Amino acid sequence: MNVSDRRGRSQQEAAEWWVILQGDASREERAEYVDWLRESPVHVAEMLYMARVHGTLDQFERWAQQPTDGADRDGDGVLSLPMASGSARTPVSSVRPAPRHAKLAWPMAAMLLLLIALGALFFRSFDGEVIQTERGERREVSLPDGSVVQVDPETRLRVKYGESVRQIALENGRALFRVAKSPHRPFRVQSDNTAVQAVGTQFAVEREGQSVRVTVAEGEVAVLPGSPTFRAGETKHPSQPASGGAAQRITLIEDQQVVIPASGSAGPVRNIDSAQALAWAEGKLIFANEPLGAAVKQFNRYNQIQIRINDTGLASRPISGVFNADDPQSFVALIEAMAPVRVTRAASADIEIDKAR
Amino acid sequence: MTNDREARHRLADWFSQWRTPLRKFLARNGAVRTSDVDDVAQEVFLRLLRYDRAELIEHPQAYLSKMAANVAAEWAIRARNARPHASKWLVGLTSRDHAEESAAHAEVQDEIERALLTLTPREREVLKLQFFEDLSRAQIAARIGATERMVKRILASSYRKLRQRLDAELLRGIPDERE
Repeated sequence: MNVSDRRGRSQQEAAEWWVILQGDASREERAEYVDWLRESPVHVAEMLYMARVHGTLDQFERWAQQPTDGADRDGDGVLSLPMASGSARTPVSSVRPAPRHAKLAWPMAAMLLLLIALGALFFRSFDGEVIQTERGERREVSLPDGSVVQVDPETRLRVKYGESVRQIALENGRALFRVAKSPHRPFRVQSDNTAVQAVGTQFAVEREGQSVRVTVAEGEVAVLPGSPTFRAGETKHPSQPASGGAAQRITLIEDQQVVIPASGSAGPVRNIDSAQALAWAEGKLIFANEPLGAAVKQFNRYNQIQIRINDTGLASRPISGVFNADDPQSFVALIEAMAPVRVTRAASADIEIDKAR
Repeated sequence: MTNDREARHRLADWFSQWRTPLRKFLARNGAVRTSDVDDVAQEVFLRLLRYDRAELIEHPQAYLSKMAANVAAEWAIRARNARPHASKWLVGLTSRDHAEESAAHAEVQDEIERALLTLTPREREVLKLQFFEDLSRAQIAARIGATERMVKRILASSYRKLRQRLDAELLRGIPDERE
C-alpha cells in the first residue's frame, strides 16, 4: 500500500472514529481508538483534520440555502418512508429549523486548557484575613459573596468584608479579581495609595515596586490614586472622601490599563488586549520579543524548579510565545530549539543552561 | 436523548479551544503563520505514546486536544522566528479593516459551500440536520426514515469527503471559532 492509499485509508478511519466519539463511546471503543491513535502520527493528524472539518461546518452560515433535493433518490440504501418525505411529520423532531446552538460563552478562566493548581479557600470571618502565596504557588480563592480571586505567586492580600463595602488590600504581587455583582456593597481593592473600585466586573491589580497597575478585562472600574489603604478596624464607606483628598478619579473600561507610579499621579490610560495582558492569571505567560533572561526570571516565579541562563549572549536573545507557566520542561525544550545549549540539572533539580562548546 | 448532542458540542469545544488564545496573540503580533497540523501531530503522537494508556482511554479527545494545544504553543515560537506564512485564509482574522475582513469571511463561506455541493444530496441533508437544526442522530434517523447506523455511515463519508476536498490550507489554518 503506497503512501497516498495509506493516507486515504487513515482519513476513512478517522472519519469513522470521529463519528463514533461524537456519541457516547463505550470503554472498549475508546480503548480501540487510543490504540489506533498510537499506531501512527498520520492517524493523529487525520483526527486533528477531522476537528477542523467539524469546525468549518460549525462556522458555516449558509445552511438554509443548501439544496437537498433528490436526497431520497440517493442510492445509499436509505429507504425514505412516506412519512419522512416532504415536510417532516414525525413527532420527535420539530418542523421549523431550531435556532443554532449558541456558542458557549466561556469565561476567560475556563476558556484555556490549563494546568492550574487550584486551592479554593472558604473564609468564615474576614477581619483582615490574609492570603499569601509562595514562589511557584498559584491559588484561586472563592470569597463568600461569590467573587473569585486568582492569586499569582509571591503575593500577599488582606481581605476585609464589611456590611457596606468589600475591601481587599494588595500588599505585594498581583491578582485578578472576578467580582460578583452586589450594587449595595462596592468592591474595593487598595494597593499602596491607590484604590480601585468596582461593582460587578473582572479586573487585575499588580503591585510593581511602588507602582500599581490596573487592567480591566470586563466591565468598568474607578481608579482613585491618593487613597490610603484602610487600617484594620476601619469600615469607612468609600463614598466618604479619603483623608488627603482623592483628587483624581479615572474610569477604566474593558481592555484598558493604567499605571499609577509612586508619585501618585496616574499615567495615561492605555488600550490593551486584556486577554494577553492578563494571561498570567490563567497560568500562561506571553512573551513578545522579550529577552530570554527576563522571560526566565518571570518563569521562575511560578516554579519550584528554577532555570538559570549562564551566558549573557543567550540571556539577551529575544523570545516570543505563549507558555504554560508551570511547565519549565517545555520552556527548556524551546530554549534548546533556539540555540546550541548544554542543559544540566543541578542536585537541587534546578536547571542550568550554558552555551554548548 | 441529548447525550449525543452534548457529546458532539463537548467534542467541538475541546478542539475549538486549542487555538483560540494563541490565534488572538499571533494575530495581534502579525505572525500569521499557521501551525502545521502534520508537524503538530508528529509531536502529539510521541506524547501519546509516553502517556498512561488507561488515563488516555478515559477522555481520549480531551487529551488529544490538550496535547495539541501545548504543542501548538511551543510551535508558535518557531513560527515567530520563521518567515510569516501568508495564508490567504487568515486575512480575515488579522485584518483590522472591516471591509477586508468581510470579503475574506465570504471567501471562507464560499469555499465551504463549494465543497458541500460536491457531496450527495443525502449527505448534505444529514449535515444540515445536524448543524442547522441541531438534531441528534436518533432524530436525524427518524426524520429521514433510516437507522442510526446508516446516519453514522453517511456522516462518516461526508466528513471523509470534506477532509479530502476542502482547501488544504483552509484546514491547516482556519480556527474553529471566530471571535
